[in-house]
Amino acid sequence: MLVLLIVAACGRSAEEPGGVRVTFSGSAVGAEAEVLRAQLDAFSAQNPDVRVEIFATPDAADQRHQLYVQWLNARTSDPDILQLDVIWTPEFAAAGWILPLHSFRPDTDAFFPAAIRANTWRETLFALPWFVDVGMLYWRTDLVAEPPATYAALAEAAAAATTAEVPYGFVWQGARYEGLVVGFLEHLHAFGGSVLDARGRVVLDSEVATRALNFMRDAIHGRGMVPEDALTWREEQTRFAFQNGRAVFMRNWPYAYPLMQDATASAVAGRFQVAPLPAGPGGGNASVLGGAQLALNAHSEEPEAAWRVVEYLTGPEQMLERARAVGQYPARRDVYDHPELSAALELDASLARRIIESAVPRPVSPVYPQLSSILQVWLHRALTGQREPAAALRTAAEEIRALLERVELYPDTARPRGGVDG
Amino acid sequence: MAEPGMADPAMPTRAERRERRTAWLLVLPAVGSIVLVALFPLVWTFWESLHLHDLRMPWRGRPFVGLDHYVELTTDVRFWASVGHTGLFVAVTVVAELALGVVLALGLNEMRRGRGLARVLVLLPWAIPTAVAALIWRFMFEGESGVANELLVSVGLLDQPVIWFVGAKTAWVPAMLADVWKTTPFVTLLLLAGLQNIPDLLYEAARMDGAGAWRRFREITLPLLWPALLVALLFRMLDALRVFDLIYVLTGGGPGTATEPVSLLAFDTMLQSLRFGYGAAMSMTVFVAAFLVALVFIRVLGRRGTRGLA
Repeated sequence: MLVLLIVAACGRSAEEPGGVRVTFSGSAVGAEAEVLRAQLDAFSAQNPDVRVEIFATPDAADQRHQLYVQWLNARTSDPDILQLDVIWTPEFAAAGWILPLHSFRPDTDAFFPAAIRANTWRETLFALPWFVDVGMLYWRTDLVAEPPATYAALAEAAAAATTAEVPYGFVWQGARYEGLVVGFLEHLHAFGGSVLDARGRVVLDSEVATRALNFMRDAIHGRGMVPEDALTWREEQTRFAFQNGRAVFMRNWPYAYPLMQDATASAVAGRFQVAPLPAGPGGGNASVLGGAQLALNAHSEEPEAAWRVVEYLTGPEQMLERARAVGQYPARRDVYDHPELSAALELDASLARRIIESAVPRPVSPVYPQLSSILQVWLHRALTGQREPAAALRTAAEEIRALLERVELYPDTARPRGGVDG
Repeated sequence: MAEPGMADPAMPTRAERRERRTAWLLVLPAVGSIVLVALFPLVWTFWESLHLHDLRMPWRGRPFVGLDHYVELTTDVRFWASVGHTGLFVAVTVVAELALGVVLALGLNEMRRGRGLARVLVLLPWAIPTAVAALIWRFMFEGESGVANELLVSVGLLDQPVIWFVGAKTAWVPAMLADVWKTTPFVTLLLLAGLQNIPDLLYEAARMDGAGAWRRFREITLPLLWPALLVALLFRMLDALRVFDLIYVLTGGGPGTATEPVSLLAFDTMLQSLRFGYGAAMSMTVFVAAFLVALVFIRVLGRRGTRGLA
């Protein structure tokens, strides 16, 4: 059976008229599949010498990651183009699985700087941002006069606006998963701290980091601004709390915006707005960046043709097209000046742009997933009262240092290694 | 050399040889499948545990590292904590299940009417898939206004709602309750079978000799139920040692890692962190622990068995 399929596949491709075949893998279900197919058809109409095939991959990030690892580790030449999660680029770059893009001379200034930084490993760009996802502060326009600019102002406004009907001041994602790390990073940057410094050294056990984590803990156990329950919540539980009118403020991604404007399901339709996340003492306002990137397989047989597809898909018109079709936020800044974008996103595009401009990437490291799982455990221990924040961060920092040393990525022990140069 | 026709007692005759060959052929499917499904994965896992195999860092290759992973285990705080959690879980749930199981089995054994219906009702939790049961318990204990909180506050056992899954100690409550609820029926059934093997004659004789109910239970029921109890204990311990799905769904090992058993940590190491070698070393330790428990029980059971015959 399998043999028959392979023979049939080979036969078919041999019969096809000239031109090169390029394969694309990424999200290919539902509306996303439709818009992608339409975009690739439009590309082929303009470029008859290139045929693009879609490789379906699972939509769950972990599963897609696993599949990519298997393919790339086996040095297959397909798929030529890979849709990557924002935190995978350094990992794939360090493994030598994706091509550096500088030789194609992409116009990096047109994209949001945080999105470019997230895709840069050892000063080289390895993937081009496709669409972005960003943390936002949702606030109730009927309970609060204006969005708070700082976390202190947020705490004050939350305390003033909470009532028996609106018991929660602020809700965020506190379960032990990636979302908790994202929320912590946003607090951490607002307070002026970071996990890794510019040289890649671990600076998580700093005083500012402790202050940021103390603020999060006190928000639950001190002020009672954040419900204890939030320590078991992911995105959807926070959305339900806010959507049912039980919270004054919420930290969430843009996906919640159109859903909560639907008056048939949402009690707060027309009574909320979004704003950049607050700043803290000693830092600016910072939202963590998510989203998808496009990269080229290092073993691709048609890198030139594949690059043309990537360039096309990451062009301004195509980004606008995806915003219209599936509400994804363009990764190019100038698209936000387009008059149609606000309608497509159902949100004022200049406000969206302002929020994304303040975005920061997560620590750019090939071992980010392991780094994150260390943080998940220690942050959750600190926030559930099992460990003092300072002690938790100290141990987390030690474990992250040990991790980076084990994989020979710690700056003091690091030597140029493998990957693309080797 | 044996003369033709003069069978040397040490040398098997052709018929005997053929019989032996047939015997081997007959057990081959059984032996083969044991090798395939039990021995092969075991040897493979052990081999894997001696190698560095990290799918997140494929550039490091897959070198042989000897016992490095086992050495790393000895100082891995999270691993030892998970061993402690597993021990606690086994001790509490197995004791509770056996105690409850004895009570329920005695009750069911005494019932004269409606026995069939009672048995079906008792068995119901056992029939529910673990993941589904875990979701039900999670739902009951979730949040400030979950079923459990409402109930406990209304009957006055709690002054105010508890956020069960956020406390390092309180998260154990739903996890252990769910396990006891789910597997006590299994223990009950095993013990009920044991009880029904005790001849009524013995009780009648004891009653004639003037033995009271407690005396009859201690002198007749308990000793004769002992083999069934040991079997139930063995099965439950082996199951509880490997506890995974219930905790995975119910608490996810949290808060932090406060309810994380060894098998969940091994799963996390293998399939989330993709450290296959290290995860394999953890799995091997779970296997060795379970194997030792089984070995001890089989010896004890074997001794009991022969003494019972004598």
